[in-house]
Amino acid sequence: MARTSEEFPGVEWVQGAGNFITIDKDKCDACARCVKVCLGGCYEIADKKARIKSLAECMECAACWFVCTRGAVDFSWPPGGKGYRSSWG
Amino acid sequence: MDDEYDVIVVGAGFGGPVAAKKCAEAGLRTLMLERGARVGEKVISGLTIPFYGFLFGPAFIRDGNPPIERPADGIINYIVKDIATGDIEIDDTLKIPKPLSPVLAFGYNAYCQPFCEWEADRAVESGVELRTSTVAVDVIREDGFITGILTDGGEHISSKVVIDGEGCQGLLAIKAGIREKYPPDAISLADCYDYEMSKADVDRIFGHTLRFCWGWDEQRVAPPLGFGNGLMVWPYRNSLHFIQDQSLETGSGKVPSLKDFDEYHRNITGGLPWWREEVAPHIRLRARMWDGFEIFVGLDERARKMPNHTDGMLLIGDAAGLESTELCDGVPAAWFSADIAADVTIEAIRAGDTSATFLKRYDERIKAHPIIQWSISRTNRHDLRYAQQNHDIKLLRKLVHNGWGLGGFTHMSTPLLRTVLDSIADEPAIVAAWIRMFPRYYYNWLHERYDGEASSRRRPRKVQTLGHRAFGKSLELLDGGLARFASPLRKAAAFLAPASAAANPVMKVILPVMEPVYLAVIRFLEPLTDPLSRKLVSFVSRADPAMFDNPPAKGK
Repeated sequence: MARTSEEFPGVEWVQGAGNFITIDKDKCDACARCVKVCLGGCYEIADKKARIKSLAECMECAACWFVCTRGAVDFSWPPGGKGYRSSWG
Repeated sequence: MDDEYDVIVVGAGFGGPVAAKKCAEAGLRTLMLERGARVGEKVISGLTIPFYGFLFGPAFIRDGNPPIERPADGIINYIVKDIATGDIEIDDTLKIPKPLSPVLAFGYNAYCQPFCEWEADRAVESGVELRTSTVAVDVIREDGFITGILTDGGEHISSKVVIDGEGCQGLLAIKAGIREKYPPDAISLADCYDYEMSKADVDRIFGHTLRFCWGWDEQRVAPPLGFGNGLMVWPYRNSLHFIQDQSLETGSGKVPSLKDFDEYHRNITGGLPWWREEVAPHIRLRARMWDGFEIFVGLDERARKMPNHTDGMLLIGDAAGLESTELCDGVPAAWFSADIAADVTIEAIRAGDTSATFLKRYDERIKAHPIIQWSISRTNRHDLRYAQQNHDIKLLRKLVHNGWGLGGFTHMSTPLLRTVLDSIADEPAIVAAWIRMFPRYYYNWLHERYDGEASSRRRPRKVQTLGHRAFGKSLELLDGGLARFASPLRKAAAFLAPASAAANPVMKVILPVMEPVYLAVIRFLEPLTDPLSRKLVSFVSRADPAMFDNPPAKGK
């Protein structure tokens, strides 16, 4: 099963990716750097902490993980064959 | 342990299949893991692979028929001073002169998915075992040595050497204790649009020329200068790739809002006359995607010094931080490093020593590679920030010219000449392979002739004119001459190689004088060279492609 997005055509997301990015709330200081660099709009700030709204349009670039200075974002790959795919990269 | 290999290659991007194929050809039991269900479907980039990647990289790519979207023969740089009033300068000095162009190209545009898949198919043909939909989640360690991989399926796979081509995120290298997460200002995020456009329109509007755009911040037509930014358009066969990229940190710890990409894209496509009037009416958005790449790792002292190997493990390509700081093209370095990693792996396994002490020769060879070192250390693109901060048009003009104009020869001449001479010293017959590659690639592009199932079946009628026969005979004579005089050619190239150090300083002196003369001459000769260029295209198009294939290797 794969899903598409109107905002980001030409890309499919194969279901079953799971929560491959997580946030350690104890480490997060709500600086919102992850929110600013995420083109997929996966993040929001809620109750003074970063929160993942949805990884439905995540392109697995790890920008959120690179910019997190507090080590609050944990990034790993989705299981094999899951997550985004495109023929036009 | 569930299974056991000599070599595990992690990642079937541009570099992984090169390393895997060479190891398998040496008789090593080789496994390549790819996290995507299909090779290349996770690789995103706008892509011109520079000619030096093909010439000096893996022989199976240079001498093969990979899927090419369009040869690239020049760059037009737009320096936008004021988009509202149309105050735009143009630097279009970097172009292959006609009649050589477009048969002779400075690079080849390609989609990542079919290209990586083509490479992986060649590796599989050589005996590599490929497992897709498999993530290498951790390394296995025994007595300090990396002895295998743990997959996301919980499988333990053992190996004598792991070659890691995971990409710039480098999660496995971090888990192996080799490297740390790169600083955000070394990472650029590339926002990529893919547009459908008819081949006739691409031919008419772009030809074989790339378009780059540079401008002041407040124009908001391209991400802020100097932080890994750029705005670039690549013409493909019947599509365009449009890329804008931006470092994840832009000085003083500030993180840019990448949602601004939408505004830059709107402003440039609506504001730049050539796009608005010539391009926009003929395109349809097909895809939008993005990915990060480690553009400035080579300029970050701490990141540059991170190891690229440990006991039982080597890192290649982006995983080793080998992205080009200037051209933001990591493919040549991925190919070169994969080739070197395979050589060292084969030597290590044959010697029965996969320790870091033995594998250090990988690091030494990477550091001795003139093109890798040049491409990961040039500060030209990074320095654009100073031109931007000071609104220094003179400096901006100079930096653009030195990066994407003829000025590039003031710093790329030495590494390229050195590699040419080193290659000839190693095997003089390579000269004929270089000469054959360009017309073969052009023929392949024209007629969609690739190795493998993707190749088009349609072929033009072969014509054997006197010219074709003469060209074929000349190549045969060249093969014979290179073989006959191999020994003196080797000695001459090895003798001259150190003198290549003078090429950059000489170019710095002569280019300011030569450039205007050269540009005037090629413009003056256009009425003559244009029809000749068309004749050359026709000549290549109707040739029997077998004449561009290399004779069977006889071994050194």
